[in-house]
This record gives sequence, C-alpha cells and structure tokens, in this order.
Amino acid sequence: MDPQMNGIPGQEEPEKRRAGAYGQDHGSADQEVCAVSSGENIIQIDHLTKIFRDKNRIVTAVDDVTFTVKRGEIFGLLGPNGAGKSTLIRILTTLLAPTSGTACVDTYDIAKDPEQIRSIIGVCPQNSTLDVELTAYDNLEFYGKLVNVSEDVLDTRIQKLLAMVGLSDRAQMPVGTFSGGMKRKLEIVRAFIHHPLILFLDEPTIGLDPESRREVWQQITRLNDEKTTIILTTHYMDEAEKLCNRIAFVDKGKLVSLDTVDNLKQLIPSGDIIEIGCDVITDALVDAISAIPKVTSAEAKKQKIVIRAKNGSLVMPGIFATFEQLAVPMRSISIRSPSLEDVFIYLTGRKLDDGGNETAQPQAQG
Amino acid sequence: MIRGAVAIFKRDFKKFLGNPFVLVFTLLMPIMYLVIFGNAMGGTITHIPIGVVQEGPPYTETGLYVNGVEELRYFSQADNPRLFDVTVYTDEEIAKRALGDALISGVVVFPSEISKDNMVRLYVDSSDYMTPTLIESGVRGALARLGAGNTIMVNKIYGDIKYIQFFGVGVIVMAIFMTTMMGGGIALIKDREMGIHEGYLVTPVKRSSIILGMISSGTVRAFLAGLIIFVVGALITGVIIRSMEDFLLVLIVIFIASVGVTSLMVSIASRFNNQQEYASTTAFFNLILFMTSGAFYPTIGMPDWLRWITVINPEWYSVHALRSIILRGQGLSVIAPDLIALLIFSAVAILLGITTYRRTLE
Repeated sequence: MDPQMNGIPGQEEPEKRRAGAYGQDHGSADQEVCAVSSGENIIQIDHLTKIFRDKNRIVTAVDDVTFTVKRGEIFGLLGPNGAGKSTLIRILTTLLAPTSGTACVDTYDIAKDPEQIRSIIGVCPQNSTLDVELTAYDNLEFYGKLVNVSEDVLDTRIQKLLAMVGLSDRAQMPVGTFSGGMKRKLEIVRAFIHHPLILFLDEPTIGLDPESRREVWQQITRLNDEKTTIILTTHYMDEAEKLCNRIAFVDKGKLVSLDTVDNLKQLIPSGDIIEIGCDVITDALVDAISAIPKVTSAEAKKQKIVIRAKNGSLVMPGIFATFEQLAVPMRSISIRSPSLEDVFIYLTGRKLDDGGNETAQPQAQG
Repeated sequence: MIRGAVAIFKRDFKKFLGNPFVLVFTLLMPIMYLVIFGNAMGGTITHIPIGVVQEGPPYTETGLYVNGVEELRYFSQADNPRLFDVTVYTDEEIAKRALGDALISGVVVFPSEISKDNMVRLYVDSSDYMTPTLIESGVRGALARLGAGNTIMVNKIYGDIKYIQFFGVGVIVMAIFMTTMMGGGIALIKDREMGIHEGYLVTPVKRSSIILGMISSGTVRAFLAGLIIFVVGALITGVIIRSMEDFLLVLIVIFIASVGVTSLMVSIASRFNNQQEYASTTAFFNLILFMTSGAFYPTIGMPDWLRWITVINPEWYSVHALRSIILRGQGLSVIAPDLIALLIFSAVAILLGITTYRRTLE
C-alpha cells in the first residue's frame, strides 16, 4: 500500500487513478532521469521530502511526495494553510534544497542545475516582492534585466504586459499607489516577462476582492493560452475548480490525491447531495428515505434533511413520494454534486480552511 | 478612556521589554557617550613630540641650549606627566623636515653663540588642534623658569588653521559613514524584509552579481556623499586645495573608505533581521569610531585604552590621510601608511560582507 494513503479509509479507486496519473514508473533514482523526461511531463517529483529542524521540534513539511506535471496544463496544489504547498514550490523554484528525493524541471535536476531552472521558470511568490517605491514600468524593466530579456525587446514586451493587465495608463506611477488586485496582476505578468516555460503562482488571489480575483483568473488563463505550464497553490476550492486541469490535494506534507476535478469528485462513493428543508423531521421520515434504493444515506440536520445518493436526479421522484406518503410539507429543495471541499473532507476528514490544525483527526464521512 | 490608555501602555511596554537587545543598547548608549566622549574630549594632552635644535654655525652648544633642552624635557604643567617628548636634532633642516612629515608637532630652534637678536624660533604644526597652543605656552614657561629673556618667534607652518577647518575634514569621513550605515543599511534590511532579495534568487541572476551590484551602488552613494561634503565643507570652512594631485588623492581616500565602509555595512546588515537592532548597533559603532577618529580632538589627548581603538579604526586613517592632504598639502609619501591600512580594512570588509551576505541567501 502506498504510504500516502495511510490514514485514509481503504479505497481502490483513487489508488488506481493516481497510478495512472504518474504516467511511467521512475522509482529508481537514475542519474539521467531528467534528461529523458522531456516528453509529456515537464516536472517530475520523486519521493521528495523536506524536514525542517529547529531547537524545539522537527517539522516534516513535505513528506515523500511523488507526482508529475504535464506540459501545458494548469496544475493546482490544493490544501489547507501549512500543508506544505509553499515548501514544495520553494523546492521546485530552487530556493530550498530537499532533505531527500529528486525533482526534475524540464530536463534539469533541481539539485544539479538550479541556474538553468531559474532561467526557464517564472515565480510569483505568496508575499509580494514588488518594489513599491518604483513605478510599474521600472519594476518590470528591473525584473526583465534580472531574467535576461534582451534590451531590444524589453520595452515592447513591458508595454504589451502592461496593456494585458490594463495598467498602461499607470505605467509611470509608483506601485505603492496601486490596489491589491493591480499589484497582484502586475506581479503575475512580471513573472511572465521572459516567457517562461513554467509559471509558479503561490496563492495568487489571497486577500483579493471577488472582482480582482476574477481578473487574476482571466489573466492566468490567458497566460496558459500562450503555452505556459502553470502551477498554482491555493486553498480556495472555487479557484482550483475554475482554473486547474488537474489538482493535487496536499495535507500535512503528503500528497493525498491527484486527478482532474471531475475524477476527484467521482471519488466520493455516496454521490450527489440533496438537501430538503422541512419544519418537522421525524425518525420515521429519515428511515423511510434511507430505505429508498440508491440512497446511500440520510440524516437530519437542523431544519434540513441531507440525503446522499449516487445519482441524485433519479432518486428525486422516490423522495417526493415518501414525503407525500408521510404528509410532510417541503420548504426547499436543493441538489448539488459534491464540491472539491466535500472531496477534501472525504479524503482527509478535515475542512480546507481548518488551517494547520494538527489535532483534527481524520475520519471518514459518508 | 483609562482602559484604552492602559491597554496601549501595556502593549508598548511589553514590546519595549520584549526586545532586550534594543533595551540594552538604549541604556548602554548614554553610558558609552559618558565614557568615550568624556575621555576623548576631556583628556589632558601630554607627551607632545617636539624637536629641539640649535642654529648654526658655529655648532658649539650654548648654555641656554643645554639648559633649555633639559628644562623642556622635564617640563610639566601642575601635576601632569611631562608635556613634551623631546628629540634632539643636530641640523635645523632635518628637524623641519621631520615636522613637515608630521613625525613631530613642533621644532624649537635655539639661537647660536653669535646670534644678534638672540631670538628663540618656534615652528609648530598648526594643522592640529590644541597642540600648537600647548607647545607655545610650554616653551614660554620653560624659558621663563630659566630666567632667559629671549624673545620667541612663533611660526605656524601651515598658517592659521581654524578649528572649523580642522573639524571639517572629519565631517567628510562622517558623511561616508552616516550615509552608508544609516541610509544604506536600513534600506538593505527593508528590502530583505520585503522579500526583494528572495525574489532575486528565483531569477537566473548570479549570487555574485547581487553582491557586486549592492556593494557598488552603496559605494557610489557613499563616495558622492563624501565628495559633496568635501566640496561644500571646503567652501564653508575656506580650505584651499593646492593642486590637482591633492584633489585626486582626496578622491582616492574617499573612494577606498567608501568601499570598505559599504562592505562592512553589508556584513553588519546581513546579521540583523530587525531594523531597530541594526540601528542601535550602528549608532554604537558610529559613536566609538567617530570619537576615536581624531576628527573632534587630537587623539594624543586620549587615554591609552581609547587610543588603542584608533589603531584599528578605519576612520582614524581616513581622517589622518585627508587632513594630511587638505590641511598640510602632504603627498603620497606621507599618507601611504594610511592608504595601506585603509586598503587592508576594505579588503577584510569586502570578504566579510560577501561571506555574511551569502549566508543570508542560503
């Protein structure tokens, strides 16, 4: 059994799917593994572990993680705060050396060729590193020089990027006068100034208002259209769901699951969630509904009865009939597919915004 | 209202006590001022090196000369140690050359047997503060004790140099230190806090380029500050630069000092994550180095333990070199030891700066 599956109720399905996502097996730490990996996969991570030690405690921020990222996709690392997403990004962007394991970025090994990797990646860290005293133009120009954009294309590229994020008229204003959303967009295009193969975005929309978030999302999609692989970390479900081709769930340093959004949702065996509001909920009602074929569970929650069923729309007539039989009036009905958050809770027993709450015990919810 | 005030009081006080480093330094500062400033400024100047010589020919020693040398050798004011360290020269020209090279602070020339006016001539290094006056009164006192009625002719070899001119040279060095330590260091720590340095690390820019860029920008800033203060100071204090060569020498000294101080700043700033701690430490450094630089007051008047600091104080060498060039018009031959000391300091500082800054990048 894969160590990453520890603590999760035995499920064969995700196991199989994840094995498929790996593509090929590269368990052996071959010296030349990076050179031959330049096909479909742009990033290969192999049993990567990072342990931080200080006086008081030892923290395993990344715990034996193995996965690959495909060329040209938007790849999401999703997990609560403190799950190890940023540490993983910092290792892949050569800011940190792993304690053990290997990782390849394009054809380069993070341990051997950090300088080559730095020239093909763009990084937008979680905390802004824009110089607030410089103008938007100067920030881009400065960064462009650091990443070796040649002088003759630099100016046109800066103008193009500023136009892309709608900041052309503010080009000569200090970044300190910008709103949070404008700064974020500027920082994202800054990371793109040398047209990197891979763009790392660490929590790109943290702390932004809904309008700005939407604009940042559009921006990310637009950059992906230019054949750039994008890796983003987030703890927002809607963000991951909207943007990412594939999502890796990370929790407590471990890779919990990795797949497309649709496939991840299939992981929940209980299926859709139907919520029916009614004033009085009797045990008889709950029992009667549980007895309907294809309903996996039914439970009373405050003024609602929460029903889970494999194929929600097909069981609705049966549920209606039961309500009529028992003469219980319905107040509201909602039916929804499980969200990514439901999947995460199902897999880890914790909510995504629980933060790094280590006392939470994994438990299966059905 | 009271509750809010108490809450704010508690918060501020907790932060004050929670930072023992700053606490210690804020308390240490006034004490250091007392000890260093008090000792540097209030010390009694003794053991001033002077030369004595009898004019000639003929070279037969007169009674006045023999007694005069003895008297000067043991002359002291009140209960203080001896005022002079006397060196006897046999040739007036050699003595004057020693004075010109700043090996001694004054030359007393006794008249020969056949002198008509019987005048005692006194040559003093007027580029120094306090010592010319002390030498003059010392020589007068010694002659008075001998009962010799000779007139004394005082010759200030660099003309009348006012205190503002003496001090003005020190201010150039102070400008280099201040702009670098205060301006440059704080900006560097701020950049690091903002993650700008970490941002560099994900770009292909080489680590050596980062350090080179930082040290060179800091050096140019310090150099410009030194140059501006030099020019403005010269206008305010009315100092005249005698030749192009002197001007270039001044620029060289300012430049070497700027490189060294900037590298030292990079090194110190790399060790602190906290602006407050950095500011306390550099204020402390500034105090010690500036006080013992001889910019305010001749280091000869300082107690021995304080004078030892001048040996390793780059500011002392800078002030000494600049004063030699600007006030005395001395050339490379005199300031060569200062330049070598400054070069050693700069080389050590650059190495220190590179290694400590590199460590912050790991």
